[in-house]
Amino acid sequence: MPRPTATLSPLLRADGSASYTCPSTGCLIMGSVNGPIELPGRRDAQKPEEATLDVLVKPGTAQAGVGEKYVEGILKGLLGRLLLGRETGFPRRGIVMTLVVSGGENGGKVRRGESYLPILPALLHTLLLALLSAAIPMSMTYTATAVAVTSTGEIKGDPSVRDAASAVSFHVLAFSSKGHLLLSQSEGSFDLDLWEQVYEHAYATCRGSQPVTADGDISMIEDASGYNLESFVRKTVEDQIHHDYSWMNNDA
Amino acid sequence: MGSPAAGTATASQQPSSGSNNHYPTPSSLPPSQIARLQPHAFLLAHLSPPASSNQPPVRANGRSPAEFRVTSANAGSLTHTNGSAVVRIGDKAAVCGVRAELLYTQDVASWGVSKSSSSSSSISGGATQGEEAGEGEDEEDDSQIRDLHLLVPNLSLSTGCAPGFIPGAPPSALAQSLSHQILSLLHTSRMVRADDLRIWYHPPNLSALERETESHERMDTGEEEEEEEGEEGSESGTSEIKAFWVLYIDVLIISLAGNPFDAAWAAVLAALRDTKLPRAWWNVDNDMVLCSDDASEAKKLHLRGMPIASSYCVFEADPAASWRPVVIPGAAKEEKDVQGKKRSQQSWVLADPDGYEENLCQERICVVVDQDRGGKTKVLRIEKNGGLSVGKEELRKLVNISIGRWNHLKSIIEALR
Repeated sequence: MPRPTATLSPLLRADGSASYTCPSTGCLIMGSVNGPIELPGRRDAQKPEEATLDVLVKPGTAQAGVGEKYVEGILKGLLGRLLLGRETGFPRRGIVMTLVVSGGENGGKVRRGESYLPILPALLHTLLLALLSAAIPMSMTYTATAVAVTSTGEIKGDPSVRDAASAVSFHVLAFSSKGHLLLSQSEGSFDLDLWEQVYEHAYATCRGSQPVTADGDISMIEDASGYNLESFVRKTVEDQIHHDYSWMNNDA
Repeated sequence: MGSPAAGTATASQQPSSGSNNHYPTPSSLPPSQIARLQPHAFLLAHLSPPASSNQPPVRANGRSPAEFRVTSANAGSLTHTNGSAVVRIGDKAAVCGVRAELLYTQDVASWGVSKSSSSSSSISGGATQGEEAGEGEDEEDDSQIRDLHLLVPNLSLSTGCAPGFIPGAPPSALAQSLSHQILSLLHTSRMVRADDLRIWYHPPNLSALERETESHERMDTGEEEEEEEGEEGSESGTSEIKAFWVLYIDVLIISLAGNPFDAAWAAVLAALRDTKLPRAWWNVDNDMVLCSDDASEAKKLHLRGMPIASSYCVFEADPAASWRPVVIPGAAKEEKDVQGKKRSQQSWVLADPDGYEENLCQERICVVVDQDRGGKTKVLRIEKNGGLSVGKEELRKLVNISIGRWNHLKSIIEALR
């Protein structure tokens, strides 16, 4: 299974940024986060008690359309719960997150009426890494994955665009680092028993099969391949920190 | 905001007397004022009545947590449309009109390239027309609806439906994403059959006609029947699609009180069920499609199934749980298990939230279910976002509630004709 690749802080002027390539859909997503910043001239967006979240999704070579507005709403809903927008310095200010989708089919443009779900996990991961890079306080991290169910009832992780087009049902699930189901977007025709199988599959992809230990700590015992999406996120951030602090390390 | 608050004035007497200690001077402020000043505490007091009173939790609007608002529907209200419907759910009202317009295949740039499958689909098309609304044709190819954009829904909130939406303003993000949701649900539920939208041209089989006329000359009996037969027999092979019906589905939310998607989708569904397309045929002499004036010849759409959307939101007792640095839910759950059920309930799932409740809730769930004739439940869409409270088990409960709602709404919509 091809694995995603990510770079933290590729942009110098933004507070935080990340780029992410999704192997299954082939799209490259660049994300930048600025915050907390003043939102001049936006009295409507200044909330007295918490930060305003602004998510912008832009296809690389086209205008943002109705589908982008929809996916922005999904991202905003998810992050509204995770970002600690009431910390000191955040109320009345804004966190502006921009995602640019390039590569993939149609240059990252999802055409009218087509589903945005196939690239939603990639958008979520880019956003998470960019937020971590910008050091925005969050209550927990998350990982997301897409699952397609074929007409023969086979459950297929990391579906390609073609798999997604021919799938009977398509699911995107996101789990928090504590194991909650944060997001579930499913479309197509299915029943709940199938959905639970999809849930188990997605949970294993995102978090490995290990349970959370009693003290709430996650023991990173990994399965045979030793790989899950959560360890991927951790590894990416660890590598970046190691790189940033290499001047301090004598052993380098 | 005025009407839910007015509705609560009577319902809130009991709980507010039980939570006197929260409000130092309860008598000086009417409940409608408290609802505005302390919305969260107000709803919480309703949902968690004191244990001594033995009351079930009731919402500020007087409904129980799993209760939907009163729903009514009306079809065929707009005379200039092919199909229309008005759906009211409580204070919400959505009007939907469906207009059919023609898309000529000669105007589709990619038609000559992409129609490679037309001969095979013409055969299946003929077969399904004969079957007449059988359930067995699920394998039929509906990709043309998606590729040629034969369904164009649009939802407008700029009607002054709620104080936040200014009439004449550009479509808000909410209106845009609702339009997208309706379109993608129309596609994924495959409710409209592509075959209903196709306008075929069956060229007369001239050689067969010649043969027939010869035979007519010989026999000179039963002319009309045989001619018809001859036309039908000539269908195979050279038939081609000359045009498509494009359905423009416009939804106007006249009055918005939370949860617009349920009402909008129910209106779309009722309007599509009401839609009648006139009989249309290709006229070779004029090189255009002609439609019949005769209303009795118009045909209804054969929709697949009847998906019904029901939305929920989750109200949490602790408004700070979302921003407290040490996140409670994971740890709190285990604590709760240890302490037993001593702790009071932390979150409530509210069905069909109104605007007041929607402002207080972050977590949203939308479930679209359908049942086939055998009573087997299909889930067509689950959207859950914005919170931690609803997991696997809770979703299963919500799907069961949605099935109850499906039965109720089905009876309302089926009674329309």
